[in-house]
Amino acid sequence: MNNQVLAAHESLEIHEVLNFKTLCLAKSKLMQGLVFDQELRALMQKDVQQSTQAIAELQAVYAKAPFQAPVPQNRPTPIIE
Amino acid sequence: MKHMNHDYLDPINSLHVPELADTTFAMDFLIRAKEGVRNLAFALTETASPDARAVLRNQLRQAIAMHQEITELMLRKKWFHPYELQEQYQLDMLSANNTVLIGQMNLFPDDTSRIGMFDRTPDDANHGGALT
Repeated sequence: MNNQVLAAHESLEIHEVLNFKTLCLAKSKLMQGLVFDQELRALMQKDVQQSTQAIAELQAVYAKAPFQAPVPQNRPTPIIE
Repeated sequence: MKHMNHDYLDPINSLHVPELADTTFAMDFLIRAKEGVRNLAFALTETASPDARAVLRNQLRQAIAMHQEITELMLRKKWFHPYELQEQYQLDMLSANNTVLIGQMNLFPDDTSRIGMFDRTPDDANHGGALT
């Protein structure tokens, strides 16, 4: 059961949640350099740790998407011409 | 901050900035947590695979707890007034006004493309070869 391929619509849900969590991780990390209140900063650091764990779990599930593919080291096409 | 002058080094512009910045970041954090709860609940109701459901359910619990922690912090710091609606109204309007002022500031260089900084390694300046 655990190695079953995800349904197409489930894969898209995981795609959305994974990208959301990735953005949250980026924001909680970057904003720690801007906040003044140290309690707020500590809570953001907690979110960084939880999001990192969440991303690892989501990636493990996403690996079972029907459209999964080998992941290259870098973005396949250069961003800047 | 009503009549923000455009001398960015004038210390008068730094008055109350920590408070203003932190309320903004905390509000962003709160909205993200809230959105996370909704996104995860939505994803969970569209998912049947047991292991995907287990991951989403645990993350939903965690997201609800994080939302509560942020709400409590914001209440304690008086950044958020769910019961004193007039105070919340004042905060909403002030942070909108101040942020509109920041939006009108000319903060960044005209060209931020930074072409040449991220699309080659240092040796590429020598056409790909190290100095021989």
